[in-house]
Amino acid sequence: MILKIAWKNVWRSRGRSLVVIGAIVVGIWALLFGTGFMNGFMVSYMADIINHDVSNLQIHNPEFKNDYDIKFYIPDGIKKAEEVRKWPGVRGATTRTIVNGMIASARNASGVQIRGIDVQNEAIVTQLDSLISEGAYFEGIKKNPVIIGEKLAEDLKVKLRSKIVLTFNDGNGDITAAAFRVVGIVKSSSLKINGLYVFVRQEDLLRILAIDNQVHEIAMVTGSRIDEELVVNKYNEKYPGDLAESWREIAPELAFMEEMYSQMLYILLVIIMTALVFGIVNTMLMAVLERMRELGMLMAIGMTKLRVFMMILVETIYMSIVGAPLGLFVGWLTIRYYQNAGVDLTEYSEGLAAFGYSSILYPYLEADAYIVVTIGVVITAFVGAIYPAWKAVKLNPVEALHKI
Amino acid sequence: MSVIKVENITKVYTETAVPVHALNGVSFEIQEGEFTAIVGPSGCGKTTLLNILGGLDHPTSGRVELINTDITEMKDRDLIDFRLNNIGFVFQAYNLIPVLTSLENVEFIMLLQKVAKKERIERSMNLLEQMGIADKANQRPSKLSGGQQQRVAVARALASKPKFILADEPTANLDSVATSNLLDMMAVMNREEKVTFVFSTHDQRVIDKARRVITLEDGRVKSDEIRE
Ligand SMILES: Nc1ncnc2c1ncn2[C@@H]1O[C@H](COP(=O)(O)OP(=O)(O)OP(=O)(O)O)[C@@H](O)[C@H]1O
Ligand SMILES: [Mg+2]
Repeated sequence: MILKIAWKNVWRSRGRSLVVIGAIVVGIWALLFGTGFMNGFMVSYMADIINHDVSNLQIHNPEFKNDYDIKFYIPDGIKKAEEVRKWPGVRGATTRTIVNGMIASARNASGVQIRGIDVQNEAIVTQLDSLISEGAYFEGIKKNPVIIGEKLAEDLKVKLRSKIVLTFNDGNGDITAAAFRVVGIVKSSSLKINGLYVFVRQEDLLRILAIDNQVHEIAMVTGSRIDEELVVNKYNEKYPGDLAESWREIAPELAFMEEMYSQMLYILLVIIMTALVFGIVNTMLMAVLERMRELGMLMAIGMTKLRVFMMILVETIYMSIVGAPLGLFVGWLTIRYYQNAGVDLTEYSEGLAAFGYSSILYPYLEADAYIVVTIGVVITAFVGAIYPAWKAVKLNPVEALHKI
Repeated sequence: MSVIKVENITKVYTETAVPVHALNGVSFEIQEGEFTAIVGPSGCGKTTLLNILGGLDHPTSGRVELINTDITEMKDRDLIDFRLNNIGFVFQAYNLIPVLTSLENVEFIMLLQKVAKKERIERSMNLLEQMGIADKANQRPSKLSGGQQQRVAVARALASKPKFILADEPTANLDSVATSNLLDMMAVMNREEKVTFVFSTHDQRVIDKARRVITLEDGRVKSDEIRE
């Protein structure tokens, strides 16, 4: 019957109970949405960078990272790429011949990184073809086609089929220049793809550089559930002369953001839970003080302190039992809705784009996040109920009864 | 058999700026089956005395023996159990749990005593009938008049089969008809079921129904008369 009394007590002061239930609903919702939103933020950003630029792991000549000189190539790089492509867990591998240089149009010039790519494998590894916003992926222009980013095209004031000139040091250390024609323009949230990289066919670049099959970078993608570190270790053991690294080492800023992001989530969690605890302590304390005489009477006629304590706790538990599913449902609905619709941040996207974020976010949440959030909020509600319940138990029946 | 025996009890409230001597050496003994009124002007110490008799408060000095058990040194935990099984309480107000029906309110105390459900309901119904409010069994207290609420409270006090019932001004909030109704029912329970009642009042009509009247004045027993 204590359970029954507690249940009825919940509905006794409907407005107040609704405040607590509402706080639980909003708490769960805010946590779910906040987590989903930030997940979306990070995942879309990190996925963009990893999928289209960094890939899961890269292999270089160890010297190449210090000095982008074309002489620091990966020995037998093309053969090695063919080999790792067959490794379990590896979805694709592509080779790149890389040289730093200048790009010049009739109007303007800019420093760039010229990437001689393996057209087919690049599409598998970075889906470069999917980023084409104008023109085609190395189709339509026979001689020296080039793909550049949208921002670079804007800076150079070039359009499709415009002629540009690339200037760089060749294999003999001599400065050489070659004319290319824009075959495609790519658009990405990655600053590098947008404004720094210039993509040409590997065979064209090798020919102009006057070198044979020398590649400076192998980029690999792994299956979504594969730990890239395992592949890194496997490669480094087999070819100790080369250096394989995962995206965490190649783009430490991403790893840093990943950490920042979990800290921000943690802070969000603490803020919401603290607000919830205070809300519950407040309302339950009111509920206790309001019923002081009744509680005094109950203790006078023989209800033990433990039972009174339990009664107040159970009241809070009931409220979370009502509030939690509601909050979960509302949170799930919100996430579901925005998963399809996306959260349009275009209004703020100038600032975001500067950081390389895309302007439409797709919040996403894994199933266990719902469980974690629910458990967290229910525990919070519990903690919030302990103080008022303890306060109730501390009442002296005689004094409580005579308070008018 | 003596159910209540107090020896020279005093009570001093020291939390106040000036210590209040609410009781100044009170002694008496109450036997099983008595129907006793504690009377006296406001502030004479009636509530203080009943709280001590009910084990809700400790005297500053003196001895309290209930049903041949000295409760002066009893721990609060044990006192709760002692109260539950030996003493029935009727307060001036706020006797009932507002979210429960009359029947459930009466049942509640037996639930604390871990009485089986069937017996609980049977006994609750019987008591409500005896108190003349069986028709209100499924009503919540807020739907009852003050007199009806106090009758439920007496039924609840009886339900635990206590050795005696303490009632602090049970009629203070009632009109004269309800007052005499409640007192008559208490008198019937006293006569027929041999239930011991100790109640405080300053209402002359209530005093007239008592079979023993203990009069307090300034925390002392001024007179103690038995009327048959
Ligand atoms: N908790 C307390 N703290 C201080 N003084 C108290 C306390 N309770 C009662 N008193 C004082 O003790 C004296 C006796 O009070 P008590 O309530 O026992 O009288 P009473 O006879 O019940 O009065 P009433 O008829 O008004 O109910 C009074 O002077 C009162 O002010
Ligand atoms: Mg009083």
